[in-house]
Amino acid sequence: MSTVIPTMRHVRGFDVVRPLSIGMLVFMMLPLVFLPLASIFIFGTSNGLGKFWAALMAPEAVFALKLSMATSFWATVFNVLFGLFAAYVLARYNFWGRNALIVTISLPTAIPTAVAGFALLLLWGPYGTLGRFLAPHGIQVMFTAGAIILANVFVTFPLAFGVIKPVFDTMNRSLEEASATIGATRWQTFWHVTLPSLRGAIVSGALLTFARAVGEFGSTILVSGNLAGHTQTAPLYIFAKFNEGQIEAANAIAIVLALFSFLIFSVLFFARDWLDVD
Amino acid sequence: MAVVVLALLLGASCLPKPPTESGDISITLYGFSIMKESLEKAIFPGFQAKWKREQNQEVRFTSSFAGSETVTNQILQGVQADIAILSIDRDVQRLKDKGFVKIDWHALPYKGIVNKTPFVILVRKGNPKGIHDFPDLAKPGVRLIHPDPISSGGAQWSLLAVYGSELVKSEKETGEKDEARAFRTLEAIWANVISTPGSAREARTQFETGFGDALITYELEGLLMKAAGTADVEIVIPRATIFSEHPAVVIDKNVSASRRAVVDAFQHYLWSDEAQQAFVKYHFRSATNESFNASNTELSNIELPFTIDYFGGWDRAYPEVIERIFRDRVQRR
Repeated sequence: MSTVIPTMRHVRGFDVVRPLSIGMLVFMMLPLVFLPLASIFIFGTSNGLGKFWAALMAPEAVFALKLSMATSFWATVFNVLFGLFAAYVLARYNFWGRNALIVTISLPTAIPTAVAGFALLLLWGPYGTLGRFLAPHGIQVMFTAGAIILANVFVTFPLAFGVIKPVFDTMNRSLEEASATIGATRWQTFWHVTLPSLRGAIVSGALLTFARAVGEFGSTILVSGNLAGHTQTAPLYIFAKFNEGQIEAANAIAIVLALFSFLIFSVLFFARDWLDVD
Repeated sequence: MAVVVLALLLGASCLPKPPTESGDISITLYGFSIMKESLEKAIFPGFQAKWKREQNQEVRFTSSFAGSETVTNQILQGVQADIAILSIDRDVQRLKDKGFVKIDWHALPYKGIVNKTPFVILVRKGNPKGIHDFPDLAKPGVRLIHPDPISSGGAQWSLLAVYGSELVKSEKETGEKDEARAFRTLEAIWANVISTPGSAREARTQFETGFGDALITYELEGLLMKAAGTADVEIVIPRATIFSEHPAVVIDKNVSASRRAVVDAFQHYLWSDEAQQAFVKYHFRSATNESFNASNTELSNIELPFTIDYFGGWDRAYPEVIERIFRDRVQRR
C-alpha cells in the first residue's frame, strides 16, 4: 500500500501555490514544534559535548533510561497481546454489551494521566480496595517497578487495540474461509492466515504503545515513589532535575527521549510499506 | 537483523539494578525540597565516615526530595522511607495520626527540630520593583511566584511569615495585633501571585528561569542561588519574619529491628556539632547552638524575628491562619 500523491496538472506557468504552501506549513510548525525541540538541543549541548555526555552517563540517568525501557517493554507486550485478543473477540462476535466494551477500552485516552495514577493508588494502596487485603501479607505493589508497568498499561491500553481492530474489521474473510475448507484448524488459520495480515498493525501498535509508555509522566509520578536509582523513570528524572535547577542534566535525557521518539516514528513511517502485505 | 531486534528486546525487558548497590546497610530518606544539598554533600558522607569508623560498616543512602506535603502523602501511601525530614510539624502529626510515627517526637532533643531558616523575599537584580518588605509585594504590577500551600510546607511558612509579620509590626507600633491589616496585606499579595509551583524548589527554578518579579522563600534558597550564580537576584530581608523549623522523624512503621540502630544513630547524628556546622555551611541556621551561625557571614540579621510559637504552635496556626484565613477567605474569593 504505497501512497500516491496526486499531482495537479498545469498547462503553463510556474505553480506558485506549491512553494508558498510548503513554506507556510514549515513556517507554522516553526514556533509550535521545531523551535521548542531545537531549544532542547541547543541548551543541552551549549556547555560542550563533554558536559552533555557526563550528564547522560550519570548512574541515575542511565538507570532511569533503562527503567523506562524495561517497564515500557512489558506494558507493550501486555497491551499488544491484549489488543490482539480484544480486537479478535470484538470484531468476530456480536453480543450484548459489545459497544460498551469498545467504549470502555478506549476510555483511558481521554482520562487525565494523573487520574490514572491516583486511581491505581486507590486500588492498590495500603488503604485501597485491593491493597488493604494485600498489605497484611507484606505485598506492596505501589512504589515498585510493577506500579510503573501498571500505570503504563493503563494509559496505553487502547493504542494497540485501536490500530489492530480496524484491520480486523476490514479484513477479507475469504482467505480464512478458504483455509478452513482445506481442513485447517481454527488455530492454524489464525496463525498462518489471519496473523500475517495483521503484521503491520501489530508492529505499529507496539511501537505506538512503547513510545507513549516511555514518555508517560502524569501517572508514574504518583505511583512510582520517584526514588532516584530505584523507581525513577526517564521523564521523572527530567522533572526532578529541572525542579532541582539542574537543567543541563534534565536536558541531556530530554534529548535522548526526543531522538528516541524520532527514531520510532521514522520506523513507523518507513516500515509501513514493508509490513503491509496486501 | 532478527538477532539484533531480539537482542534489543531482551535488553529492554530486564529491569535494571540500582546503580549504588554496594554497602552493608541502607537508609532511605525522604526530605522536603530544600534539604537536598546539605544532606547529599555533607550530612550523608559525614555519617557514612562516622559509622564506618565506629561500626566498620558501609551505609548506603537513597533519597527523594519533594514538597513537604507531597513527601508526607507518599509515606502515607506506603513509600518505604526510614526517616523523613519535613518542613512543617503538622506533617509529622499526620504521620503520627496514621501510626507511621509511634513516639512523641516533641520529646526528642530540640523538639525534633534539626535546623531552621528565616523567610525572605527574592527580587531581580537592582530591585526594579522597589520591594523592601512584605506589603510592597501587594503593589500593582508585581508578579509574585509562590509555592502551592496544598503540596508545599514552604508555602505555608510563607503565608505565616506575611500574616505574622504584619501582626508583629502592628503590635510593635500600636501595642495591639492588627488582624484586619494582616488579612488585607495577605489578600492583596495573593492577588499578585502568577504561579503556584509544587514545592519551594520548583518555585525557585521557575524564578531562576526568568518568571516573576519576586519570590517568598527560605533564606537558604536565596543564598544557594547566589552561590550558584545562575540568576542575578537580590535578597530582601523583611523587617519582621518567621523562622521555619524543620523536624526529622524516624518512620517507625517501616524500620526493621535489624536497622533500627543505624537509623536512630543517623537521626541523632543530625544534632551533632559536626552535622549542625555542616547545615550552617549550607546556609541553614543551627537548631542546637546559635554560636555556630557566626561561621556563615552571609546569614542576615532579622530585626523582629518570630517563630510558630507566636501563633501558639502548628496545632493552632494551621486551622486558624492557613485554613480559616488563607483557604476560606483569601483563596476562595
